[in-house]
Amino acid sequence: MEFAQICDSVEPVAISRRPVDVAGLPGVWINSNPQTNGIARIVISEADGGLSLQVYAIGPDGLIDWGVRQVQVYSSTPSSRTGAGFSCRFDFGFAESFLQGMIMKGLLVLAELRTFKDASNRADYFVREYFSLEHQRF
Amino acid sequence: MTQKLEFNQARDLDQALIDSDVGSMGADRLIGRWTNTDAQTRGLREITIKQTGAQFSVSAAGAGTDGAIQWLARSVRPLANVEEEAGQRGIALAADFDFGFMKAETYLRVNKGVLVIVLFNSFRDDSGRSDYVTREFFYRRD
Repeated sequence: MEFAQICDSVEPVAISRRPVDVAGLPGVWINSNPQTNGIARIVISEADGGLSLQVYAIGPDGLIDWGVRQVQVYSSTPSSRTGAGFSCRFDFGFAESFLQGMIMKGLLVLAELRTFKDASNRADYFVREYFSLEHQRF
Repeated sequence: MTQKLEFNQARDLDQALIDSDVGSMGADRLIGRWTNTDAQTRGLREITIKQTGAQFSVSAAGAGTDGAIQWLARSVRPLANVEEEAGQRGIALAADFDFGFMKAETYLRVNKGVLVIVLFNSFRDDSGRSDYVTREFFYRRD
């Protein structure tokens, strides 16, 4: 089994072919910063055996719906079958957002890598924000 | 002449992003040789970040069974890091590594003097391993 760092390596007996359990990811995730000027809310849903993600971002007249995309799910180790993160790409023509999320202590830590493809000469940017799951228990 | 900027989040219109030179935004905080804070790491032992003009390179040493495994990023993109508070902006790097059997899409940033790398590793072989995400911390060596 090839590896580029020892932690990539897994004993074959430890590999399960069962699907990754994504139960910890679906739900409505709200930005912890009420003053954000970026992504305000993320809705993650199970669909067709995979996960889809819908983004709502702050706009001048309310939230802007980015639409729905499929996500790639990541575990926390190569032998784990529990979803611990995801990545997802949005292409809007004038700009592209690559989202990389990971769950840490119940929080979703979301990195957005934003690339402008128009001629506006804006700097591509990186931002990392925290989202909490709306659970309605308290 | 005024230009109407396309956007779909308010942050896209941040004045600091317009006509900014990302390469000069505090890149020196990232440049250098970094060692993993975990001496027993089974991941990346060391990371080296260099800048030549507007170009950045990222190389690393992965923990191997018979010594280090060399990592060299296939692509590195500097990004203005807009998450810093109190207007202290720097840069982050997006670095992609491709080993054929696996690819690693990573981002690197410095937080309070510590280099943080987050790796989203995807296997492209038929090993049955799960794609996985890891995060590691490094202190500046030089």
